[in-house]
Amino acid sequence: MKPAITKKRAIRRSPGERALAVAVYLILGLFSLSTLYPFVNIIAKAFSGYTPNVTGAVVLWPVEFQTGTFMRVLTNPQFFTSFWVSVRVTVLGTGLSLFFSSLAGYVLSRERLKGRSFLTACFVFTMMFSGGMIPNYILVRSLHMLDTLWSLFLPNVINVYNMLIIKTAFEGTPPALEESAKVDGASNPRIFLSIMFPMIAPSVAAVSLFLAVGYWNEYWSAILYITKNGLKPIQLYLLDVVNYASDPLSGTESTFAFQDAPEGIKSATIIVATLPILALYPFVQKYFVKGVMIGSVKE
Amino acid sequence: MKAPNPNRTWLAIRRDWDLYLMLLVPMCLLALFKYVPMGGLVMAFQDYDIFGGFFESPMVGLKNFQELFSAREFLSVLWNTLCISWYKILFFFPVPILVALMLNEITCSWYKRTVQTIVYMPHFLSWVVVAGLAFDMLSSTGAVNRMLGLVGCKPVNFLMDASKFQPIVVLSAIWKEAGYSAIVYLAAISAIDPALYEAAVMDGAGKLKQMLYITLPGIVPTIVMMLLLRVGTVMDGNVEQIMAMYNPTVYETGDVIGTYIYRMGLGNMRYSFAAAAGLFNSVVSFTLVFFSNLASRKLVHRSLW
Repeated sequence: MKPAITKKRAIRRSPGERALAVAVYLILGLFSLSTLYPFVNIIAKAFSGYTPNVTGAVVLWPVEFQTGTFMRVLTNPQFFTSFWVSVRVTVLGTGLSLFFSSLAGYVLSRERLKGRSFLTACFVFTMMFSGGMIPNYILVRSLHMLDTLWSLFLPNVINVYNMLIIKTAFEGTPPALEESAKVDGASNPRIFLSIMFPMIAPSVAAVSLFLAVGYWNEYWSAILYITKNGLKPIQLYLLDVVNYASDPLSGTESTFAFQDAPEGIKSATIIVATLPILALYPFVQKYFVKGVMIGSVKE
Repeated sequence: MKAPNPNRTWLAIRRDWDLYLMLLVPMCLLALFKYVPMGGLVMAFQDYDIFGGFFESPMVGLKNFQELFSAREFLSVLWNTLCISWYKILFFFPVPILVALMLNEITCSWYKRTVQTIVYMPHFLSWVVVAGLAFDMLSSTGAVNRMLGLVGCKPVNFLMDASKFQPIVVLSAIWKEAGYSAIVYLAAISAIDPALYEAAVMDGAGKLKQMLYITLPGIVPTIVMMLLLRVGTVMDGNVEQIMAMYNPTVYETGDVIGTYIYRMGLGNMRYSFAAAAGLFNSVVSFTLVFFSNLASRKLVHRSLW
């Protein structure tokens, strides 16, 4: 990763090396194109007419361009409901999860804490062993949380992986800061909120973005706990639409008029359900290397 | 070492009482949503009655497990889960390593950045979106069949053919995660001492030799660790991916432990039977993760905990 050296090494190249370099550029180029193509294709399909969509004539750009399908997807009442459910779940889930992970991460990063390793082990153990789907379902049911918004974020609000990222970040802050605040008579919660928490802002930003993407993409909780249409998150709605598009005669009742090709509806819905992620992606990208590295590996 | 003075311990706890208070709510949530369900696993040994609860359901010993292991369906989902995981190790696992090695060879920085931006992105999409895109590519008029048509093959019905489901699962996982998984290896490559490359150039080693004799050995510990971690998750089965992609025509090869537990438990309301399958799964997973982590620590001195 040292550019200066890489450039120097690039000066003299045998024909074999040149062939290798060309192959590398080509393979990675093809890999990127194969990643991009599905997106280009669905954007084209979302804006294509009925006949070209059904006959499969759409490849890279819209055929018989129209925006009707897109507008009807956007104004579909169930789409709107589901989008709003996901927005609320993402905001509440990210906020609460970040708050509790930070509290736990901070406390467990204090070396003077008695019982620290035991308490940390209590958290880490849940990464390796879980009660599983059915006992979780029974719990959520007994708490009367089935078919509530809570069931979509509260059961997984303690995210140990993110807690460990935050804990590692707190461990990297200078101890002198805390000591001087102590001398000034600040309480622990006060030190946490006004001194230590702002110190780890980059890690907090990274964790929030990961949490937000996770909550937005989550649909398994909804499969388990939600039966009401009014509480279906966007991904579950999208799953219905995807299944409808691969088999329009399947059980899923469609709220769409027959003027739109199922493929077109599916493409447009995928686009709108993915846009928030794509909007966050540039920010996420800045942080994800950190997220992958910190907290995951102990040397 | 001197035994800690109980008085001193108590004093230390009292001095930081508010620190413990801060941990209270996260601990309660952890206990409620992670540890209570573990206790709930007792239902695997009961004939659980959803209206009676744990205390009024009769204990039946190992009956649920006997039923589980004699159910041909369960053995088949176990087999499917292991097959998919095995194919992922065989075909998915090497791809991020190759991607990282190739990215490392690229000297043109804008090209490298563009490739990275593109191939990392699918990681952030949900499995539902990926399933939607995959169906799009694999439909009778999709890109794959179009290409098959170009070389004169008849269109293949990928989505309704049980024999093609597992390859589709592995390929779509590669599409989604291979780029992003390369980050770990890229980080390992960037930690290699540049002096090694300089010495190799002095000795007349070309690019390929540098890759084979410096870069690759340099990331072997990371590769070993990632491989062991993957072995630890073979029972995982990626239920979110399967759930988004399968349909009844491919249950034969596509049904995995997670989807089976879901259908038996929540679909057929056989709570105890499904919980027994879940307990079996959790115990095997835990054992695998535990020993693969131990092996990783012994072999390459790195571990998750």
